[in-house]
Amino acid sequence: MIAPSSVLQARADVRYRVVDRRAILIRQSEAEVVVLNEVGSRMLELLQPGTPVQGVLDALATEFEVDRADLDRDVLSFLRELVETGILEEVGS
Amino acid sequence: MTAVRPREQPPSAFGEAFLQDPELFPGRRSGETCGEREIAFELAGGAYVFSGLEPSQVDALDGRFGSRVVGPGGSRVETLVFCVEAREFRELERGRPYTFDLDYSRASVRLAGPGFMARLDWTPDLRGALWTAAPGTSFGGAFENYFRVLLAYRLLDLGGALVHSAGVRDEAGGGYLLFGPSGAGKSTFARLAREAGASVLHDDLNPLCRGKGSTALKALPLSGDIGLGPGAAPPEAPLRALCRLRKSETDSLRPLHLSEALASLLASCPFVGRDPYRADQLLQNLHSLVGGVPAYELSFARAGRSWTLLRAAEQA
Repeated sequence: MIAPSSVLQARADVRYRVVDRRAILIRQSEAEVVVLNEVGSRMLELLQPGTPVQGVLDALATEFEVDRADLDRDVLSFLRELVETGILEEVGS
Repeated sequence: MTAVRPREQPPSAFGEAFLQDPELFPGRRSGETCGEREIAFELAGGAYVFSGLEPSQVDALDGRFGSRVVGPGGSRVETLVFCVEAREFRELERGRPYTFDLDYSRASVRLAGPGFMARLDWTPDLRGALWTAAPGTSFGGAFENYFRVLLAYRLLDLGGALVHSAGVRDEAGGGYLLFGPSGAGKSTFARLAREAGASVLHDDLNPLCRGKGSTALKALPLSGDIGLGPGAAPPEAPLRALCRLRKSETDSLRPLHLSEALASLLASCPFVGRDPYRADQLLQNLHSLVGGVPAYELSFARAGRSWTLLRAAEQA
């Protein structure tokens, strides 16, 4: 269950490169290539090692004019999707 | 989030579909060479030297690639060719889908396919070894399979990339790279472009190479439905545009974000695109090669004017 207290990081087999504010991710174990839009790319950049998801939520709230409850819900949902698809993993909470 | 996957390959242990005993795959370049002859030729990626050949093998390669005198030193990749007993390879079922196995590691890549096995090693420079059954009609096919992989990795080392694509050159000499998943219509588009007056470099594999200040598409004398015949001098063309293809009922063109183009190109790069140790380098190469090149998604109809549409966009 991904929560604001969760600590996430990119899985070891994921490499990524930011091109024009979008992230191109290579899942080496699956030979899959994924493109994240600007917001997704920014989320990835904000997921510094050891930083809980709360830090990502707070940073995005200052960068985007959006209802805070909507932002939290959408970001958590997206991060959950990234974990389920094997791009991110939870390393603590 | 957009996901792009390279072509699927059937799961199996390395080599078991092609070799009687995959456990005996050579751990290094060793064995009995087929002969004493050598051939060298220059293609995208520099000079390629194949040693240990017997006369019929030299003739087969000379007819397709044309031999060149390659001087000592300089950028060259050397491959030793060995002969093994035919019984080391499995008999394959008729109608079996044509594939071969690749096994990746940090310092080498192993290949096993119909009637051949091979390895590429970085020690520290790239060099290869190819084992085939005693000289016969299977050598040409085995060689070409091996050579495609060798070419892909050689290009990688030189900052280039080998792309599963159609390469087309317009009347002014500008090059266009059309790519997409299997069935996207690369050969169909190449045929339509040729009917409209363009020339086709190749409808299956095209190298992207670093040039002086620009990226070049270079034709290869490899098997394909459309492209150069054996022995033809390979032309090249400065890259003008990239197009991701999709079949449609109508013709349309839309700009493609660079990130989408790179992701799709990466998925269109055979062999290296699935290499967990080198795909990242390939992505860097692709970014460097096509970063400043216009990219589009081209939806085209079978009997449409897609080539004209693409040219018009580039000339606008």
